[in-house]
Amino acid sequence: MKQRLAELVSESCDGQLTPAEVLAASVPLSYLGVTSLAQMRLIDAIEREFEVEIDLGGDVSFLDSVGGLADWLAAR
Amino acid sequence: MTATGTIGTIAFAGERSGDAPLTWGQRAIWEAIERTAPDDHYFNFGRVVRLGARPASVDGARWALARLVERHESLRTLVVDGRQRVRTCGELPVAVGDDPDVLLAELTAPAFDYAREWPLRVGLVTSGADVTHIVMVFCHLAADGLGAEEAVRDLRLLLLRGEPRGSRPPQPMDIAHWQQARDGRRVAAEAAAHWDREHRRIPQTMFDVPSGAGERPPIWRASLRSPAIDLAAQRLAVKHGTSTSNVLLTAVTAMVARTTGHETVAMLPIVSNRFRADTRGAVSTMSQEGLFTLDVRADVGKVRFGELLGLARPAALRAYRSAYHDPADRTRVLDEVARDRGMPVHPYCCFNDMRFADHAVYRDDVLIRRALAETSLTWPMSQEQLNCRFCVHLSGTMDVSVTADTRWLSRREMEEFLRGLEDLLVEAALR
Repeated sequence: MKQRLAELVSESCDGQLTPAEVLAASVPLSYLGVTSLAQMRLIDAIEREFEVEIDLGGDVSFLDSVGGLADWLAAR
Repeated sequence: MTATGTIGTIAFAGERSGDAPLTWGQRAIWEAIERTAPDDHYFNFGRVVRLGARPASVDGARWALARLVERHESLRTLVVDGRQRVRTCGELPVAVGDDPDVLLAELTAPAFDYAREWPLRVGLVTSGADVTHIVMVFCHLAADGLGAEEAVRDLRLLLLRGEPRGSRPPQPMDIAHWQQARDGRRVAAEAAAHWDREHRRIPQTMFDVPSGAGERPPIWRASLRSPAIDLAAQRLAVKHGTSTSNVLLTAVTAMVARTTGHETVAMLPIVSNRFRADTRGAVSTMSQEGLFTLDVRADVGKVRFGELLGLARPAALRAYRSAYHDPADRTRVLDEVARDRGMPVHPYCCFNDMRFADHAVYRDDVLIRRALAETSLTWPMSQEQLNCRFCVHLSGTMDVSVTADTRWLSRREMEEFLRGLEDLLVEAALR
């Protein structure tokens, strides 16, 4: 799951980060240059692939790491 | 100097014709055009494609332009009776001149005849037998800035290797059908809920005190050329783990709070709406306004800019999502809110980041301070009509302009706004 999420993050920022770099990240993804635009692409990619809807009304800090995303998906 | 003429037409023959409702993006521009007429040439914009070391022949340029119009249905779409009509075949007039800037200005100046004229005007700049530049002017119904970039990229590939990129691009007619179907309606409903919720709590409008200093004509643009803003925004973006776009949106919001005294600020950022896999790469007009709201509270000067950035990030994501909405829903929701609050509610306060790149580097103090000496302010435009009171545009590295209705914000206040924006960003960056 984390591997696939890292690939989606990498695709969303046009390969500016490799999946390996995403997985190794020790700071929030936004500090690595994942822009809001890339984050919006990532939201679309995750919603398509996992058939979920991401609610942006509440706490959205889980979007900022692969671990956070994986936990969020696991809790669905 | 002008030597503009015409050299016939380009014949094109695409794959299909059709008739569909306008897409949400087309509808948003169409409504803006109707409100702005007869000054609707305001929305025309163009690109000059320099061919540089690889000039084309006139026939080669004509061939590439024909393939471009065949590939992207938006470039052969008319708006008739409020619907999009895609035509298969036609002929596109070609202008010719010897100065790309003159050609661009001439092709951009007249408003489009939306029901009868192709939404793309082209011109060739020649030197002997060579075409050195291709000028393309877009009707805003056919493309927005990013859509035009897609068209330029395809044109370059057609000239260079005789074919565009591999995959078939998304077409506005298909996007319109998706938007009308179940999935599109679900996305629209979520966006409409955001517009509804926020309009029930924001101020009636942002610039609500007459300035007492209206000019004739009333609409003016002040433009600040400030490399220091660019450098400071980059440093803040790296420092706080965000994009320069978010930094600048937040800073403009803080300045609107400072200028107007409103503690809840509503801005309408123009959002690209190219996040989704089914819209990326489209030569179309996808951009729409989103609704960004931020509670700035208390005196902005005392709130740490970093804290404000932290609040702005999730607010920006919600705003970006709300931008992909059906304008008909927005109208309905705003009517309901107006009825319930007993007054129309509209921010009349928009933000358009037209830069294509957002790469931030941590800039050092000396560089930022030194750049302050390069700041200059100009007044490039004035006009009669604008369906807004306050519009901020960002371009390059960096020009920040305020186009405002002087009846609500005087020219002196416009200048103070821009200078204050620079101060806020530079101070926050160097803190």
